[in-house]
Amino acid sequence: MELALAQSNTKLYLPEPARIVKVKSFTEHEKFFQIELLRKGSLGHDPGQFVEVSILGIGEAPISIASPPDSGNRFDLCARAVGDVTKKLFTLKKNDLIYIRGPFGHGFDDKIFQRMQGKHLLFIAGGIGYFPLRSLINQTIPMAKNYKKISILYGCKTSQDRMFPDELKKIHDLSVGSNVELLETLDHPEPGWTGNVGVITTLIPKVDFVPAETIAIIVGPPIMYKFVLTSLMDKHMPKENIYMSLERRMKCGVGKCGHCQMAGVYVCQKGPVFNYADVKDNEELF
Amino acid sequence: MLLKTTKAALLKGIDQVLLTYQVAALTKQVDRVLYDYVKTSQDIFWGCRPTVLPPKKFFFPPHETLLDYTADGQVSAPIESKPLVLLGIHPCDLRGIQILDEAFADLHGDPNYLERREKAIIIGLDCHQNCDQDSFCYKVGANYAKTGYDIMLYPLKDDQYLVEIATDRGSVFAEQFLRAIKGEETELEEYQQTKAKAFESLKPFKDLEKFPELFQENTHHPIWAHEGARCLSCGSCVMVCPTCYCFNVTDDWALNMQTGKRERHWDGCMLHDFTTVATGENFRPTATARLHHRINRKFNYLMKKHGQAVCVGCGRCVRACLAEISPKTIAEAINGEDEKEWN
Repeated sequence: MELALAQSNTKLYLPEPARIVKVKSFTEHEKFFQIELLRKGSLGHDPGQFVEVSILGIGEAPISIASPPDSGNRFDLCARAVGDVTKKLFTLKKNDLIYIRGPFGHGFDDKIFQRMQGKHLLFIAGGIGYFPLRSLINQTIPMAKNYKKISILYGCKTSQDRMFPDELKKIHDLSVGSNVELLETLDHPEPGWTGNVGVITTLIPKVDFVPAETIAIIVGPPIMYKFVLTSLMDKHMPKENIYMSLERRMKCGVGKCGHCQMAGVYVCQKGPVFNYADVKDNEELF
Repeated sequence: MLLKTTKAALLKGIDQVLLTYQVAALTKQVDRVLYDYVKTSQDIFWGCRPTVLPPKKFFFPPHETLLDYTADGQVSAPIESKPLVLLGIHPCDLRGIQILDEAFADLHGDPNYLERREKAIIIGLDCHQNCDQDSFCYKVGANYAKTGYDIMLYPLKDDQYLVEIATDRGSVFAEQFLRAIKGEETELEEYQQTKAKAFESLKPFKDLEKFPELFQENTHHPIWAHEGARCLSCGSCVMVCPTCYCFNVTDDWALNMQTGKRERHWDGCMLHDFTTVATGENFRPTATARLHHRINRKFNYLMKKHGQAVCVGCGRCVRACLAEISPKTIAEAINGEDEKEWN
């Protein structure tokens, strides 16, 4: 067989060492990690892509990159401690070693950025869906003048579940007199909460947008998509103006192991960032 | 190039080969036929009977090490591979190997599979008749091998074989190890005519080339729930399939906690937790949905990619299935070949 070794990627499963340079806790279950590859190079990712994070002896887990591409040699990962790898990750401290493969998947590439140019960006994030979206939010806010408007809709269960509260405050402060706005909602507010109360879809009527001139970007728990999509369809939003990140069990990250394949689509290859028009008929993704 | 030889010459050649190469071939062990390493040419079973496992295990073993690492953070990716001669591979399994070659080389070339595959010489052995009641290779045209081998043997009468040399590597190999005379094309034609006669009444699936569209349109056909209800989610079908290549990866420290391994193991999309993520969410929670997924990989999703049915009709999954579920029954329901009511 002549084709074989020429196409072999000898480093396909070999992760590269990286150091944790900063750790911050949001809650008991959600943490922020800043990572630097030992080779001191840039990760070279698009917003929306993910890496496979390895902890030797424990395993690998796919985690979204939470920082914009132009963050120098460092990148941010945020995680909820639910699996073996993330639970172990939560015990690690500054200067501890982890291993990284990637970046993998299809993120917000140049083509999508061109489509977003001059449009109203409507970010819709639920809970820790803010983590993968932060990469794109933090990239677009400094360039807000390139867009008609940026509206960020963020829904959480309680005020403790709001990720990056300092950054949220900055966006709120910025929104006065600019074309950036942040609308928040809580399912279970504490006394003193002045924002909206209810599920994320209750924020959609509060935003003034022209569907054909708007690009919606949705990331949240699996249950959220159906309701948000229904609300946007009610507003006659064109399907091709909707992007979303749909994460599945992306075990190998390179389209081989089969775990993330949904009705024929390898999420780790074609996704996790999908255009709704491309996958609207995929019954296993919704 | 076409040559002709005798079984005695082949056996002699194989014993020569064994001085330099590992040879794996069909062997008879008690009442079962298995692909296994042989010590002498006498260990080889020359009949035409289906094996329990396909030969994919030689390139994609059930368990293998992807990484070796140490507690102080040294990580390496060793690949265990040795030159191998794979002898007597039947057309269905040749098709299986061809599909795995494409799958593992696609986009991100899998170094472990490709290194082993690169070091292998494949000698096919043609089937001149259907081997078993559960086999349906003829339904997908996998009773004929057009590619995927270096050398192909066609069995003639009186322990004689026609030898087709298909690649440069096969040519070098045959020159070194095989005593043969020139074969006549007419003899091969005669052989093919006899074979065609043996398969004459065994017709391919109706509309096989339209299967991707047909399966896409029939996502909600009653056959899925009918067969899915009987599926035990044991994963046996996946383990014995020549074109299933899903895998899981696990990490383990040695007992001394100084060294560890990352290993990959065969996994199966028919197993309940295959799509379960750490939060407990299972994206394909029913046996019916999993059966639909697996069969669609064979006749729809991957068929589109490989340009041919990814089920090779070897019948291994049918033999392994405790509930007697068969891709053939499902395909015949989807293309309307069976004229049964499944509601």
